[in-house]
Amino acid sequence: MAKYVVKRIILAIASVFIICAITFFAMNAIPGGPFNKEKAASAAVQAVLEERFHLNEPVGKQFFIYMGNLLHGDFGVSMKTGRDIWKTISESFAVSAHIGLMAMAIALVIGLVLGSIAALWRNKFPDRIIVFMATLATAVPSFVLASLLLLIFCIRLKLIPVWSTYNPNYVLPVISLSLYPMAYITRLTKTSMLDVLGQDYVRTARAKGVSWINVIFKHALRNALIPVITYVGPMTASILTGSLVIETIFTIGGLGSKFVDSISNRDYPMIMGTTIFLAVLMVGINLISDLIYKLVDPRIKFE
Amino acid sequence: MKMKKLMALFLAGAMSMSLLAGCGGKSNETATSGASQESAASADNVFSACLASEPDHLDPALNSSMDGGTLAANSFVGLYTYNKEGEVVPALAESCEESEDKLTYTFTLKDGLKWSDGSDLTAKDFEYSWKRAADPNTAADYAYLLDVFAKDADGNINVKASDDGKTLTAVLHSPCSYFMSLVAFPIFMPVKQEAVESASDWQTNPGSWASEAGFVSNGAFTLQEWKHNESMVYVKNPYFYDADNVKLDELHYMLSSDHTAMLAAYDAGNLDLIDDAPTDELSRLKETDEFHIVDQLGLYYIAFNVNSSLFEGKTPEQACAMRKAIGYLIDRQTIVDNIGQIGEIPANTFIPVKMSDGNGGEFRTNDDAYTYPDKDAVGYYPIGVNIEKAVELLKEAGYKFDDNNMLDASNPIHLNYLINDSTKHVAIAQQIQQDVAQIGITMDVQTEDWQTFLNDRKNGNFDVAREGWVADYDDPINMLEIFAPAEGDSGNDDPQLGVNPKEYAPEWSAYRTLIEEIKSEKDMTVREAKMHEAEDMLMDTGAVIPINYQGEYYLLKSNVSGDYTNVFGFKYFMYVTKN
Repeated sequence: MAKYVVKRIILAIASVFIICAITFFAMNAIPGGPFNKEKAASAAVQAVLEERFHLNEPVGKQFFIYMGNLLHGDFGVSMKTGRDIWKTISESFAVSAHIGLMAMAIALVIGLVLGSIAALWRNKFPDRIIVFMATLATAVPSFVLASLLLLIFCIRLKLIPVWSTYNPNYVLPVISLSLYPMAYITRLTKTSMLDVLGQDYVRTARAKGVSWINVIFKHALRNALIPVITYVGPMTASILTGSLVIETIFTIGGLGSKFVDSISNRDYPMIMGTTIFLAVLMVGINLISDLIYKLVDPRIKFE
Repeated sequence: MKMKKLMALFLAGAMSMSLLAGCGGKSNETATSGASQESAASADNVFSACLASEPDHLDPALNSSMDGGTLAANSFVGLYTYNKEGEVVPALAESCEESEDKLTYTFTLKDGLKWSDGSDLTAKDFEYSWKRAADPNTAADYAYLLDVFAKDADGNINVKASDDGKTLTAVLHSPCSYFMSLVAFPIFMPVKQEAVESASDWQTNPGSWASEAGFVSNGAFTLQEWKHNESMVYVKNPYFYDADNVKLDELHYMLSSDHTAMLAAYDAGNLDLIDDAPTDELSRLKETDEFHIVDQLGLYYIAFNVNSSLFEGKTPEQACAMRKAIGYLIDRQTIVDNIGQIGEIPANTFIPVKMSDGNGGEFRTNDDAYTYPDKDAVGYYPIGVNIEKAVELLKEAGYKFDDNNMLDASNPIHLNYLINDSTKHVAIAQQIQQDVAQIGITMDVQTEDWQTFLNDRKNGNFDVAREGWVADYDDPINMLEIFAPAEGDSGNDDPQLGVNPKEYAPEWSAYRTLIEEIKSEKDMTVREAKMHEAEDMLMDTGAVIPINYQGEYYLLKSNVSGDYTNVFGFKYFMYVTKN
């Protein structure tokens, strides 16, 4: 187990380094620059900025300077705003994670319950209605749902402000963010529950007189969770790092918009910072998912 | 069993509701100051607006955007400012004396001026701030505005505060009729040296002192809370020189550039002012009494790359005729009526309508001293389409036409029109595409993301590109100097006039010389004549084709009054009242 974890961590570090290198050289290859503006600054100002951010150096040397700073925990400052990159990312991540965690928790709880109900009442009315709703929720894009919620609850009913300085309300963003994973988890749970319920050990447990509730929670649901965990890992990373669409519609200062804006602005330190952050998060969550498999299903062996 | 299943379902539902309940109410944790989470101000004394997304800089020296200019104008104030009538009026200056040679200005400051932290604000703060803004290490985009000053022996701008901090003396290198307009611009607003240098990285990151809430300012409002990419809360500054006339307690900004979100918040009553909305909503919004239009000193135009291979094989005169022909084909009225939709004025000059001539009048007028080539239209092109003139010009350029005034198949013209991705630019491009097709010219529209577009346009990788310019101060030289950047600057000369000229590009050194003469000209009548001469030279190349003089609109709730906007697009909210 320890050997496996160490090997995975080494591989994770190598993956992040490769992602860093590819991103660094790719972003420098695309046209445009961080200091291009409609009204161009003077040559003297451009020269100062280029020297300050080492843009006058060859790209290879810039990469080594950046990696050297990174090893010292220095992500640099934004070329656009001058704000500290790590501070910006950590603050934005706190906002995205706050909303994302609530959305994931709702998606998981409701998804598992609905998926189990659909499996237990297979081909009956609850199953049909749940499958219909899950299919609908999978098909509706989040921006359509978010706009619809905004129209109904904020503009028509005026129950929730569209925007407020003192009382930001995350109900609508959380619902918008949670619906798709909730529907997906529902469908996954139903499929795997049906598979597990047909297994011999479930039949044996029932034959031995174990109560139906115990069979569902101790045997069926636990085994049915494995495909859900496979899905939830990457989905968590994705949902925690924010959604550009949801953040834009509800004016939320999360991380999702930072990814896109940094590229549009050619804000090189921000592109690198957000990419590294997402890479570490994805790699980390995948590693954790793999370890959770083992806890859920002792039959899985680490190689 | 059924009962147990229902119980389990109920419990799961209850858990989910409790999670949802946790979604609201609590303010997010990125608040950057210790501001209270509940507003103490009543709704009547809070004004909420959305102008744009997160500003790049709040340091007035580093700002280069229109929305940033509004933020600066409401949280900092300089020696002069704009009033509701659009006039430049004294703010922190009590008086200003101008020397006879119009080169030396001596400002006397009002008594008892304070920063928002209660410390004294003196002329020495201005000396520091102006010198800091002019220093290339500050890397201010608008540093060039401080080129009006003469240099002292040390190479610094010649600005000096008196020992008692009461007066500030500024020496210019040549007379500047628009100097007061400059002094009201954000880069001339003061910043407190102690505050700027309190940031640990101030030497390499000059704006970092104002990158979070709580920094010292001297305007009507100070920034109390900043949730990045969400909102800003400014509170009234009791030390503002005119605080008695500021009725608002708080100024709130929603930080978003999403037009749909802005309009939704406005419609829901969460905002009092927005200055953008989805284009397809404009026809509805225009009919309301909350829709307001303001003029800007700006121009939307298209520019030809004079070095484009499009003109290969032509003489410089023929290439000019080709470009000007396009100018006669564009239906400007349709563009402003159907695409702009906010009552902008069709343009036929490069210098915008209502811009001063630097000599006490308006530049775009026919008078005894100067008459525009198209006297009736007061400009260089008629407002309507003139196909015959376009065909005549293209014939001069060697093109053949059939009897229906359509280009002969033996000599096609194909243009590539470069724009950045925006609904408005795409719609205008499509209109121009239709207009030039009237005589058989074909045009492709190439849409690029903003940075790629800027890069291609700057490097001349285009035939024709969309352009826009809003003046920084009220004088034609601010428009004309675009095409004569200082030595070593790439500047904004996108048409590539004088840049590695091809044999078919116009000769451009005379224009550069003329711009230098205008900048040092002391006789304002002669200066005005030279500026007309420069505009004639520019327009004669056909390299720039005016489309419309820019305007902007905003939506303001009918219970709000007292706000105003100047011609550079800066909005002033300090005298707003709500009924």
